[in-house]
Amino acid sequence: MTGAPGTCSACAAPVGASDRFCEGCGGPLFEVPQPIFERVAIPRPVPLEGACADCGNDAFSDGYCTGCGHRRAAPDRDEAQLGVMALVTDRGLVHSRNEDAAAAGMVTGVPGRPQAFAVVVCDGVSTSGEPQVASAAASKSGVEGMLAELADAGTTHAAVLAGLGAATTAARDAATGLDTQTAPSCTYTGAAVASKGQGAVEITVGNVGDSRAYWLPEPPGVPRQLTLDDSVAQELLTAGAEPESELVQRGAHTITRWLGADSDAQPWSDSSVQTLTVRGPGTLLLCSDGLWNYLPGAADIARFCSGVDPAAAARALTDFAVQAGGNDNITVAVIPIGATT
Amino acid sequence: MSSAGQEGVPGFSVDVDHNPYLPEGSGTVDAIVSITVGSDAAVDVVPTERVEAIIVDCSTSMLKPAGKFDGAKRATLTAIDELSDGTYFIVVAGTADAAAIYPPDGTPTRASASTRKEAARAVDGLIPYGGTAMGTWLAYVRDVVERFPGTSASRMTHAILLTDGKDEHETPEQLQQEIALSVGKFTCDCRGVGTAWRVDELRSISSALMGTVDIVADADDLAEDFAAMMRTSMSKSIPDLTLRVWTPAGATVEFVKQVAPTVEDLTNRRVEVSGQIGEYPLGSWGAEDRDYHVQVAVEPAAAGKEKLAARMTVVAGDQVLGQGLVNALWTAEVALSARINRRVAHYTGQAELADAVQQGLAARRDGDVATATAKLQRAMELAVESGNDDKVAELGKVIDVDERTGTARLKREVAAADEMALDARSTKTARVRKENPA
Repeated sequence: MTGAPGTCSACAAPVGASDRFCEGCGGPLFEVPQPIFERVAIPRPVPLEGACADCGNDAFSDGYCTGCGHRRAAPDRDEAQLGVMALVTDRGLVHSRNEDAAAAGMVTGVPGRPQAFAVVVCDGVSTSGEPQVASAAASKSGVEGMLAELADAGTTHAAVLAGLGAATTAARDAATGLDTQTAPSCTYTGAAVASKGQGAVEITVGNVGDSRAYWLPEPPGVPRQLTLDDSVAQELLTAGAEPESELVQRGAHTITRWLGADSDAQPWSDSSVQTLTVRGPGTLLLCSDGLWNYLPGAADIARFCSGVDPAAAARALTDFAVQAGGNDNITVAVIPIGATT
Repeated sequence: MSSAGQEGVPGFSVDVDHNPYLPEGSGTVDAIVSITVGSDAAVDVVPTERVEAIIVDCSTSMLKPAGKFDGAKRATLTAIDELSDGTYFIVVAGTADAAAIYPPDGTPTRASASTRKEAARAVDGLIPYGGTAMGTWLAYVRDVVERFPGTSASRMTHAILLTDGKDEHETPEQLQQEIALSVGKFTCDCRGVGTAWRVDELRSISSALMGTVDIVADADDLAEDFAAMMRTSMSKSIPDLTLRVWTPAGATVEFVKQVAPTVEDLTNRRVEVSGQIGEYPLGSWGAEDRDYHVQVAVEPAAAGKEKLAARMTVVAGDQVLGQGLVNALWTAEVALSARINRRVAHYTGQAELADAVQQGLAARRDGDVATATAKLQRAMELAVESGNDDKVAELGKVIDVDERTGTARLKREVAAADEMALDARSTKTARVRKENPA
């Protein structure tokens, strides 16, 4: 912000050495603290260099190994950590590609708010075309939207709404140039986390579709699911159907809301956004249905997180889902609350 | 799934049509590769001299019935009329030996008003004598080609071979040897006039020398047929196309078959370039399209994995004209892997149809009625299923199939010409187009 000595960097008016504000434009003449943003997103794009993962040959043509013919593909698993947060995504065993995506962001250096986090998990809807395009765009834009609001000292609730808005636009734009009949679409579960001081942490989650967020406090706290699936099954349950009934079972994976070019203008409702204030220690966990299919109860998931390093917990959960069948892509985001936030 | 060719030169395309999905544990990939040369294809062809050889059977049998030899002479002159000015040509008399009719010195000359007139005079004065030795005829053309100045890349030699009888004055081995020596030297379309010649003999020549074979039962129809053959030959602008097939390590090319416009198995014509690359000659091309059925066996991979099963590159000399990729994707979804590509199924049926016709007719000649009936009935089924109406009509002349009961019976009286037409045209296929033409 500082220009040539003796002039304002904004309007070039002459200023005195001890002035704090410019006489000309009124702008500050001191260094304004800038928020620092950090971001990660997985799965990362397919590497364009390096040896064939299958045979070690290092020549490729049209994306295929010239030796064994295998396509240069993204590794089955990708992981990222940012601050205390750990993200893992895995192709699973059945799907040919990973259509899930996760992103996380952290903003520091905002006056009055030492640290705030944003995290998103998206699951591409496999009946749409190129759903991984939608999930990648929505997860990154959701985090971006939340970070901007958090950096502006907005509430976590406002941040989650900003994230939902940005992700909705991004998923819609992802359809550009693609067949609108099978517009790429995805689920979206986003969370914004900010310290309220004195050990209290505010968490807001926003959800569209059937990915989930859980609050998993250390015992004796009771683990619980924070989001409500936008699925036919959940609608039936809400209407009083038995969880084990055939209708509910059949509707388990039919989602009623999603992000994409063919979604509603505002694909979420007021009840899609929930805010809670917690005290650690505990774990905020976001995941795609590739995990919760195998661990349907919050307590089942909580067991993997208690007293374990977040990255180790995310890996253990993913491994569990793969070993249980890996029928879908698996994505887990683990955010420990309490010790450092 | 249909994937358009890439990196191709304008006016040229290689398209791959296949179901890339395989169940776990399976490694057999089938694809239909369509190659299209447009009239505007930007192929850098070396300036080429065309050489046309017309071999006319001058054996004594050509005298009977009356009009047969006149028809052959007229057809020869009609073909000469179709030559583009400047095309080198030679007319050869085929007997137990082979001799130049025109030019008399046996060196091809350029087509012009005056050489056409001289050729007409020479052909007019022909008198049949002697026997039939087709291997010797091929050897004669080969000698003409080899004496012709320039390299094999700078000339395009095509022959028309007309006969009315069996190969007699040489052994079958001699004929096969001469055919083998002629492969790659020139292409040859074969025609049999009347019904005293053998389809399998002419087919062995035309198949190896990348030409066509057909019956012209009535000598009066020869002229029109010769004119059409010569027009097709004049339209060929690329002397030689080559299909270069790359496969991944550990894979095997099970077969490469041309499946349209005719079935021609090219598997054994593979020329090894390296362990993973083999080349298949596709012959001379004009503006046309042909379909190939390629089957590759690759090592299976886990569900979710994708592999390139074959890269199909079409080259003319050193110029790469286009390529198509045949990928394989392993999946646990049976709904995906169980789907058989429509065109793969169609051409598999057409190849079986050709085999069934040939085997059925061979059994019929051998007096094996049971096999003949079963094979020809199967052929009829395949022809009806695939909408190959020409084949249905041709088959209907040798076998009766009751539409309601499905009972089949060989016809008692079959015209020799009908049987030979069915045999000679057995490899002609009905075409099925791409679902979404690019």
